[in-house]
Amino acid sequence: MASLRLRSLPLRARRSAPIVAATRSSLCRPRPSMTTSTSSTRTHSTSSVSADELSHFSALASSWWDPMGPSRILHLMNPLRHEFIASCLADGSPAPPSSDSNSTNPADLHYLDVGCGGGIFAESLARTIPLDSSASAPTATRAASMTAVDPSTTLIQIARDHARTDPAVDAHLRSGRFQYLNTTLEDVIAPQSSTSASTPGAPSPQSSSSSPSSPSPQFDIVTLFEVLEHIDPTTSSPLGFLTNCLRTLKPGGWLIGSTISRTFPSFVLNQVIAEAPWPIGVVPRGTHEWNKFVNPPEVHGWVQEGLMRAADTSTRRGGPSDLEGMQWKCVGAVYVPGLGWKMVPGAEEWGNYFWAVRKGDAPV
Amino acid sequence: MRPFSRAALRPYICPSCRHGIGAGRRRLGTQLGSPDIYDVVCVGGGPAGLGLLAALRASPATSKLKVALVETQDLRKAQAWDLEPNQFSNRVSSLTPSSVSFLRSIGAWGHLDAGRVQDYQEMQVWDGETGSRISFDWSAETSPFEDLRTVATMTENANLVRALLKRIAVSGDENLSLFSNTTVASIENGSDLQPDGADLSAWPVLSVKPTGPAGTAQAPSRIAARLLVGADGINSPVRSFADISTHGWDYNRHGVVATLALADPDTTPFPAHLRTAYQRFLPTLGGPIALLPLPNNHATLVWSTTPEHAAYLKSLSPAAFLAMVNAAFRLSMTDLSYMMRMDGSPPTPLPTSSTEQQDTTTPHEAELAWRLQHTPVPSHIPPSATALQPGTVASFPLRFRHAAQYVSPRVALVGDAAHVIHPLAGQGLNLGLADVAALARTISYAVSHGMDVGDLLTLERYSSERYLPNAKIGGACDLLHKMYSVPGQGPVTWARSLGLDAIDRLPFVKSFLMKNAEA
Repeated sequence: MASLRLRSLPLRARRSAPIVAATRSSLCRPRPSMTTSTSSTRTHSTSSVSADELSHFSALASSWWDPMGPSRILHLMNPLRHEFIASCLADGSPAPPSSDSNSTNPADLHYLDVGCGGGIFAESLARTIPLDSSASAPTATRAASMTAVDPSTTLIQIARDHARTDPAVDAHLRSGRFQYLNTTLEDVIAPQSSTSASTPGAPSPQSSSSSPSSPSPQFDIVTLFEVLEHIDPTTSSPLGFLTNCLRTLKPGGWLIGSTISRTFPSFVLNQVIAEAPWPIGVVPRGTHEWNKFVNPPEVHGWVQEGLMRAADTSTRRGGPSDLEGMQWKCVGAVYVPGLGWKMVPGAEEWGNYFWAVRKGDAPV
Repeated sequence: MRPFSRAALRPYICPSCRHGIGAGRRRLGTQLGSPDIYDVVCVGGGPAGLGLLAALRASPATSKLKVALVETQDLRKAQAWDLEPNQFSNRVSSLTPSSVSFLRSIGAWGHLDAGRVQDYQEMQVWDGETGSRISFDWSAETSPFEDLRTVATMTENANLVRALLKRIAVSGDENLSLFSNTTVASIENGSDLQPDGADLSAWPVLSVKPTGPAGTAQAPSRIAARLLVGADGINSPVRSFADISTHGWDYNRHGVVATLALADPDTTPFPAHLRTAYQRFLPTLGGPIALLPLPNNHATLVWSTTPEHAAYLKSLSPAAFLAMVNAAFRLSMTDLSYMMRMDGSPPTPLPTSSTEQQDTTTPHEAELAWRLQHTPVPSHIPPSATALQPGTVASFPLRFRHAAQYVSPRVALVGDAAHVIHPLAGQGLNLGLADVAALARTISYAVSHGMDVGDLLTLERYSSERYLPNAKIGGACDLLHKMYSVPGQGPVTWARSLGLDAIDRLPFVKSFLMKNAEA
């Protein structure tokens, strides 16, 4: 049974990841039919994205970084992502500060952004990486490196072009501490899953060395912003995708995301009001599909199952013991026109919410 | 959204440099290396620009930013500024409590020479045409047993500038460049430094040059700015570069300023430290006259009037000038209009010092003394001005300007570059400091959230915080000016007097207005 599932998992993940990453990119544009892209990616290799979507992204290219363009609402949400990550780190730090570091706030965390799109979050996080790697981190997010992946060539190009307009970010791109990979999540974890899985005994020496391109990428923080609600639950599995995300995570690390819940207030907010014609609406019509929204308990269930599956090795199967030390966090986010995004604890049911899961510290 | 490329096609070139720009461009072309890159470059070293720098240096989030300031004047002179204890500069500003608390929060207030700063707790404002009056103080808000709260604090601009410079100096010189005696020759967009560097094609790049042979700091010839802040006054070169238009008008009025010594008050104020500011609207002469307290029984005068009257006042001898000031707080409009037309030639040759008593009485003094005998004088007038500090009489034109927007990609405007208003409420510098506080907060937020401090998404936070409040206060001052420019009796005069009296009798309306003015 275990071996059966192990074999089937990469397949499922391969199928879901490109769609996931690609559709997140199309968040704020009217979307092409997902059934065609799903069928095409299912039959083709992992990096294939349908021609429909590619042409669609080309149309998106010019407006991705336009502060008044269709992605405006995403840009406005971005500061909240930093705040939510900071609150997660305040609850539990992935890597305890190494002994040689005398800084109270060391920049020692390695980030992976899955489905980075045009780089709204990835670039903003890369900006907080100190130019001098021994310097203390300027923000509570403590970034040491950022690896951002997206399967869309066009979007990765947009992201790289935009990153070059900031000398600080450009310097990180050149040093390799910030990188955009035009690839899928599976390709990122492939070298590691082929060899022996997780390296026990964190923090590993890699956490202090800034070489995210090392063959076994292990990340302190994996981010998944506005991705889950774009998975078609009838054709692909959020569970398999989340499991793969959790595989890339170091013990004690956080998987952090944001998505939209499938409730009545959320329906009114996201489907009726947010997509209403100008001047009421804030996102283009057809941005979201109601049946793809996910509720917090669903995510909670998936990540619990995912944590156990991610602990699977060739010799043992993960079980409830792998959930020890797991932390779960969830908080609502509400967009108030004129005021912007606000974090509202308990408002998860209203629509947008942030969620986070922390892998237990001590792997068995 | 206005595309940045429009600004790119029309680089700002200061008119005096336009003739030499061709040669300059070729020179730049040959040495086109990468410019020095700064996070925040502020053009203009007045209270607003220095306030921004001090605020950035004071906040932990922004203290590591690489910042530069470009100022045409010599900042060393500003730092070495010093005057005798009873001499006061004629450029004095009234700081609201919120401005004072901002200056305290950035650690600049302690560097002020406290002996040159004067709080006042009461303000008397009345209409010279009808006599209707309003007095502002916090007595409605405070119990009789506590001290009256400060309405505003008078500070010489030079004292404030020196304090800000000291505050900035205390923060150390790491990541800080003050380019004094340096002028901005041109601002253009940068270029793509492919393959060795970043794409700076949307970054403003300043070409600067020393104003004289004695340039203090060795400024690099080219400075690239992640965020270029225009604190460069009403004719802002930064605003021209960003292609931001302004609207506004000239009031056809001048503000006449002077530093005066006052007679001892007839009755000692009840709390001994109580000080009062006085403002009387003189509709037939074109605007209000205000007397604002300075330490040791001195006061600064701001008299808004027509350019003709301003020229007349400036031509008077010190004794005649003082007589006109005292008359303006006491006599009727008819009397004042007459005195404004008197032969102003001084009967005495060159008065050596204004503090000396003059033996001969000027015609203005005689006229004032005679007319006062026939004029009932209210109780709320200021003590008479007894001496004029030599060399402090000056005038400046009054204007209204408001920039169409405060921000543009990688550009933000603060202070007079963004708005110039009528000085009748003494709000100009306060609005500038409020801009600076808001912009510093915005930059701090951006830095702590990974945002690019020059990005429009960052800057719109600043703009949305400041645009409406500034427009509101500027508009209110404009409205007051227009209402109080209507001479004689008539509907407008009655309405404004009714309004003033009503406000004075309704404590809650008055305290609402004062809280608005304070915040």
